[in-house]
Amino acid sequence: MTVAQAVRAPRARRSHQRPLRGGHRPAASRSRAPASWEVRSFVVASLAIVVAFVLVLLYLAQATAVSAEGYEAQRLAAQRDELRRQNTLLEIESARLEAPARIEADAAKLGLVRAATIYVVTPEAIAARP
Amino acid sequence: MSATVSSARLRMLFALFAVATLILSARLVYWQTFGRGELLGRATDQVRSDLVLTAQRGIIRDRGGATLATTVELRSLYAIPAQMTDREKNDLRGSVATAIAPILGEKAEVLRAAFSSGAEWLFVRRRLPEATADRIAALNLPGLGFELEPKRLYPNGAIAAQVMGFVNDDGVGQYGVEGRYDAILRGVDGRLVVEQDPDKRELALGLRTAIAAQNGQDLSLTLDLATQTAAERELAAAVERERATSGSVVVMDPRDGAILALASSPTYDPAHVGSADPEALRDRTIAWTYEPGSTMKPITIAAALDKGVVTPATSYDDVGYATIGGRRLSNALGRAYGPTNVTQILERSANAGAVFVASKLGAHDLFTYLRAFGFGERCGVDLAAETTGSVRPLAEWYPVDLGTIAFGQGLSVTPLQLASAYAAIANGGTLYRPYVVATRRDADGEHRTAPVAVRRVISDATATTLRTMLTATVDEGIANGASLPRYSVAGKTGTAQIPSADGRYVDDAYISSFAGMVPASDPRMVVVVVLERPQSKLLGTIPAMNVFKGIATDALRYARVPPDRP
Repeated sequence: MTVAQAVRAPRARRSHQRPLRGGHRPAASRSRAPASWEVRSFVVASLAIVVAFVLVLLYLAQATAVSAEGYEAQRLAAQRDELRRQNTLLEIESARLEAPARIEADAAKLGLVRAATIYVVTPEAIAARP
Repeated sequence: MSATVSSARLRMLFALFAVATLILSARLVYWQTFGRGELLGRATDQVRSDLVLTAQRGIIRDRGGATLATTVELRSLYAIPAQMTDREKNDLRGSVATAIAPILGEKAEVLRAAFSSGAEWLFVRRRLPEATADRIAALNLPGLGFELEPKRLYPNGAIAAQVMGFVNDDGVGQYGVEGRYDAILRGVDGRLVVEQDPDKRELALGLRTAIAAQNGQDLSLTLDLATQTAAERELAAAVERERATSGSVVVMDPRDGAILALASSPTYDPAHVGSADPEALRDRTIAWTYEPGSTMKPITIAAALDKGVVTPATSYDDVGYATIGGRRLSNALGRAYGPTNVTQILERSANAGAVFVASKLGAHDLFTYLRAFGFGERCGVDLAAETTGSVRPLAEWYPVDLGTIAFGQGLSVTPLQLASAYAAIANGGTLYRPYVVATRRDADGEHRTAPVAVRRVISDATATTLRTMLTATVDEGIANGASLPRYSVAGKTGTAQIPSADGRYVDDAYISSFAGMVPASDPRMVVVVVLERPQSKLLGTIPAMNVFKGIATDALRYARVPPDRP
């Protein structure tokens, strides 16, 4: 029996088992007739399949999103590490440029000479000023 | 008939399938039971990666926060020769070698030979400078790649090379601070177990087990980069001018034993350790000894003053020599000074006077004070490879040793030991343990090194008296070349003979030195300068004093020490 036959069969059986009595019945009361177990089980099975499908889809979507975010996090971590490395290199370059030996050498190349005398004003001298 | 044959064939076929099924089932059972572990291991190996998380080596800074040593990851260039092909699978090893050879400063033939050596994978050059790595990366050549490797860098070049030490290719600290503090600088490597995709990217949903690396501790030294630079500049100039075999400088804060500068010549560049002279690796301020000569006279006189056997005014008649233990010990050039007091012994650097004072003191007390000042034992400085120097046990002293040791012959010291002893005179009589590491910083915060007062050696009064006498030695005496304008200086020169292997002294070669403190009224730094075999010979103390002046002038300016004289 195919699925279509299974769906159609109960209606066919109802028409044989319960013949119409006393003229016609309203359509509404016909539709309220309880569905047979085959229909119910088919609907439940279909719903279960759809729900399972949706759940699987949701899981796959989430897993894919997590994986994609994981790759993005790794890319950002690598970028962070590279920026830190570049920062360290810049700090080294800064330290090299600030080295007294380099400054003295460059000053000498520019013809600069050391101050022969440095005058120091003592606190006492400042206090004694009028 | 045909039905029978067909049935037989069917049975055969069935039997064949049955046997095949049994075999396959047996095989399946095997792999699912006995071989399960192996299969599981293989599968795991394909996705799982066990990585070492390298701990970052600690940074070393000077007292002002200037970086002296730090670690950075540099790119190392590697090659996979089999991948050096184009789309048509033509061999490109030659053209790759030719392209990168000029950038690396290497011959193309050498690189081509390396690529053709049969190696599947090889380092072409490790830890490249950034600019060089950028130029090679821009070429986008097949079969080449980069791998990050840590490298220790010293932004100040050769400055403080011996104090710092260096880190070898295995990441282990050698010599100096790097060697002494290797364990805490290095930190503890971590571990990361992750599952990776074929592109070696971590799977976000996969296994991830991590033990975080503990980075090494950062160190702040007591060294002052400006003072260190001045010390190395002045020492290098003096060694070159005097064609000295070696030289060394110690600058110490006498108030707590903090070392402000340690300079040694010859020196080396930590960036090129491989090509350095092994002798240059030695920190001569702590790992080299010499007979100090007349810089030891203040120690003898300090002992005698402290013991109360002489005063600055105690006098004797200097005839140019003194006789002790049947030996005649003469003044330099045999000069006779006539009536001479103890202060003048220092001003004139009279050997006979030192013998006179030592005779008053006695061998036992001189030996006791020498040991109290720290001679003959390690100072305990927190650097690798410190040596002890030598003060022979009292029982081994000949009578003449009392006289020779009084003026600094017959014992050996390190420049740091002499600086520590002078620091005790400078600070009022307390011997401090010299130290280099001021603070160390870890995850818990900063840990400061507490200065260690080893012992009181002489009284405050004795130290003050001796500073006055040493100030007179600079102002009016033999060390006048060390005087500074507007600052009082206390110090003493030393010219010592050099012992040879046969137990005698080398002819016409000397070790010249100067030990001083400034400002003498309230010393902020003690400076010891030693030059080995200067060409000025007996006048070698003059360049030593010039080194002192150059260092003190700069150090006082940088430390903003106000003048103590008009």
